[in-house]
Amino acid sequence: MEAAPENRSFVTSWIDEDERESVTFGAFRHRARLQAAMLRDYSVSVGDRVVIIMPQSIAAMATFVGAMIIGGVPTFLAYPNFKIEPSKYRSGLAGVTANLDAKAVVIDEEFPEEMLEYVSLAEGAKLIRAQAGKGEGSNSSVPQIRGESLAFIQHSAGTTGLQKGVALTHAAVLRQLDHLTRALKIDAADKIYSWLPLYHDMGLIACFMLPMVSHIPVIMQSPLDWVMHPETMLQIISEYKCTLAWLPNFAFQFVSRRTPQDRRTQYDLSSVRALINCSEPVRASSMLEFQKAFAAAGFKGSALQSCYAMAENVFAVAQSDIERTDGCPTIWVDGQEFRGAHHIVPVEAGTPRAVAFTSSGRLLLKHEVRIVSENGELLGGHSVGEILVKSDCLFDGYYNRPDLTAQAIVDGWYHTGDLGFCLNGELFVVGRKKDLLIIGGENIYPQDIEEIVAAHGNIHDGRVIAMGVYNPDLGTEEIVVVAEVESEEALGDAPEIESEIRRMIVAAMGVAVRTIFLKSPKWIVKSTAGKAARSATREKLLQEHPELRLEI
Amino acid sequence: MTDEAQQMIEHIVRLIRKPGVTVDENTALVSSGLIDSMSLIDLLVKLEDLTHMRIPAGKVQPKDLDTVAKMFATAQRVGKPRK
Repeated sequence: MEAAPENRSFVTSWIDEDERESVTFGAFRHRARLQAAMLRDYSVSVGDRVVIIMPQSIAAMATFVGAMIIGGVPTFLAYPNFKIEPSKYRSGLAGVTANLDAKAVVIDEEFPEEMLEYVSLAEGAKLIRAQAGKGEGSNSSVPQIRGESLAFIQHSAGTTGLQKGVALTHAAVLRQLDHLTRALKIDAADKIYSWLPLYHDMGLIACFMLPMVSHIPVIMQSPLDWVMHPETMLQIISEYKCTLAWLPNFAFQFVSRRTPQDRRTQYDLSSVRALINCSEPVRASSMLEFQKAFAAAGFKGSALQSCYAMAENVFAVAQSDIERTDGCPTIWVDGQEFRGAHHIVPVEAGTPRAVAFTSSGRLLLKHEVRIVSENGELLGGHSVGEILVKSDCLFDGYYNRPDLTAQAIVDGWYHTGDLGFCLNGELFVVGRKKDLLIIGGENIYPQDIEEIVAAHGNIHDGRVIAMGVYNPDLGTEEIVVVAEVESEEALGDAPEIESEIRRMIVAAMGVAVRTIFLKSPKWIVKSTAGKAARSATREKLLQEHPELRLEI
Repeated sequence: MTDEAQQMIEHIVRLIRKPGVTVDENTALVSSGLIDSMSLIDLLVKLEDLTHMRIPAGKVQPKDLDTVAKMFATAQRVGKPRK
């Protein structure tokens, strides 16, 4: 592979209006080699795991690549921050560091002392405080790295589910980057904007490995800074004329709603050629909201793109056709057929009780997808089932967890746990298998109910959770909705609001809701960036209303 | 107590919505469970407004925001004056 030109800009870490740090490819290589030499001094060698717990920074990225240079297997873990409950963080950290049996754990100077005792160090392992490093670094005796050896481990779930370290080989990573570069038609004029955490596949692969291998710049900021000031994303894209960015679905709404109308025209988003909706089911309504909000800032509708990705496949499985000018295909399907038989029957847009789905794209080269039923039977193009993936960039397994690996990869097919269907060469993802509610034989996706409830004028948008609660008397789950009202006063009209919501759900979906809980603003448990957290909210509701916990 | 600290206390009382709870500069908020960690983003943005500082979120841990007094001390320690 050809090396990037020394003086080409690589990473710019945007801290605020008057503070940023930048490196060229040459300077980054130098810093990575210094880190490689430092790790070697600590006896890290081929195949040794290196855990990196540092704030989102060029230093963290150089340490990661430094470990790879000497054949080590690095992994980024989330850095402790004020949003993560310390107890949850500590138990996650202890579990993952024990599972990895790491040779070195690299932390920064400011890593909180009280967290250190939870870093489980293997015998002979070292805890290293990252330093800038001096000298020439090591250019000599770089080990020969084989394609089938491990490149790094991804822990996509942040602090939860940390036991699942997705182990990826060099060959798999490079093949994915090759497919992705082609699908996105990356060229030298591209520039990536990112607030995505480096421990997540979107941040690590799309916004770090892809620009590194394609020799294009990336301008990044920390996820926390973005959450506090989402408008800074617009500022950075305008200033650096970024062309590509990836966002989870909720961010399309979050940025639109947090940017006052009178400030939107201050930005220039005309440079963006692809804003890729990735990592959650794609909702056309969220993307249209962004497009409407920022059309006046030069944002082009043709830039709305989608992608279906997972750490287990390094990153993308499908990517929308980047050259389409009419956005991602959206189809309308008969709601009754969809819910009753998980069958896809296309209907005219806007047909009553129809459901709209937006494509997550077309399969990348060397990728295959199968849609299977609950019993593992292969389904045709008009049926919804679990998505299985086979490709030339699938993961090697969950590190040190053959039990989990055997459950996930069966006969070479990775079982994603996502439900979807393929139609006309497009992959549509409809939800997570575990979130699906089966109500009297009907397949109900909580997101569909939540969207309907949020459309009520007294309900705070995005602050609705629909869940299934098992009723042993009926032998089926029933739908329970919890929603926040816009203001405390609205609770005075609770009975009217409840009956209006019931009518709206029945009219759109033909199902009845058992109970609606209207709550004061800020009742629902939120996750990063103010998104309603499904399982935590469910727990809170069941605690406050033990009568619901009949049998779960 | 400064005006800003008083305003922060009023903001917190509105946020926690628990009748009868009194908050002063030294009331433990995070460690006592009065405020969940997700609400801290809201408090940090409010702290930036009240102090006219930019507070690098990455340099803040839950314990730094446990009381109103600690919040303002944290702003002094890590905050940068805004232009």
